[in-house]
Amino acid sequence: MEEALGAIEQLGVVQALKTSFFAYPVVNALHILAIGALVTTVILMDLKLLGLFDEMPEPHFIRLLRRIALGAFVVASATGLALFSVRASEYAAMPLFWAKMGLIGLAALNFIAFITIRNGPRRVFALVSITLWPLALLAGRFLGFVL
Amino acid sequence: MRLRTLLLSIALATMAPALPALAHHGWTWAVDELSELTGTVKAVYVGNPHATLDLDVDGVVWHVELAPPGPTMATGFTEETVKPGDQVTAIGNRSKDPNETRMKAVRITAGGKNYDIYPARVPQD
Ligand code: HEM
Repeated sequence: MEEALGAIEQLGVVQALKTSFFAYPVVNALHILAIGALVTTVILMDLKLLGLFDEMPEPHFIRLLRRIALGAFVVASATGLALFSVRASEYAAMPLFWAKMGLIGLAALNFIAFITIRNGPRRVFALVSITLWPLALLAGRFLGFVL
Repeated sequence: MRLRTLLLSIALATMAPALPALAHHGWTWAVDELSELTGTVKAVYVGNPHATLDLDVDGVVWHVELAPPGPTMATGFTEETVKPGDQVTAIGNRSKDPNETRMKAVRITAGGKNYDIYPARVPQD
């Protein structure tokens, strides 16, 4: 495990990202952009399931926002992995990093459960979602102050 | 309508804790006075998001934060400047939390050379 993490840190692209003046802040900015889109669309969908915005037809509303959320999740994961790779062994040793990954994992499972379980408790899924994603955001923001 | 107000309030309330975190950048977490730490290097990292130096000071590990890699390397301080075991002195601002062994350095002294990470904050001597 430690060798693998050390090997990630030694990769050429990762070394370049590590001391770059432009690339790292740009990747960081993309991470933030994706997170903003993800958490915003997720909260809007959760509020919809909880009964807000009744005037909008649910299929259209959800179809649009879910596409944005899934795309944003892919971008957040890719840029997050890049940020991680620069100090892989340090992040991997931080409980807060794993707390963040755990929150994201649980939130993802909640989403999968929501789309697979027909006639499930929609409001419960929505409440879990609207709690977990902002907590993941908080954990992510605090990472920079712990490392 | 009342349910809507309630739900929106809950949504906003869950986001509110993020505010202090967003404001928590730069020097706000550190005291205003400068102090000095001398110890042996445990680890050195010069890279994004900022360079760090772990110092063993009488058996206690201090986490010393430098600047982002560009400004840090511009002083001549790189990952090759010090290695684990070297004696180093850091001048900087300690964390406001007395239990937190963390410092934001303005100057590192290693091998008889000064590296002024934040020159404007180094006291004139
Ligand atoms: C596989 C997915 C992800 C990985 C590997 C990852 C990893 C990282 C890393 C390594 C950092 C840099 C921390 C630092 O400043 O030292 C970071 C920042 C951050 N992440 Fe993620 N992340 C992922 C997904 C997410 C998601 C889904 C969210 C939100 C729900 C999120 C929220 C944040 C936030 C708010 C920051 C702080 C950005 C800043 O202030 O510069 N991350 N992430």
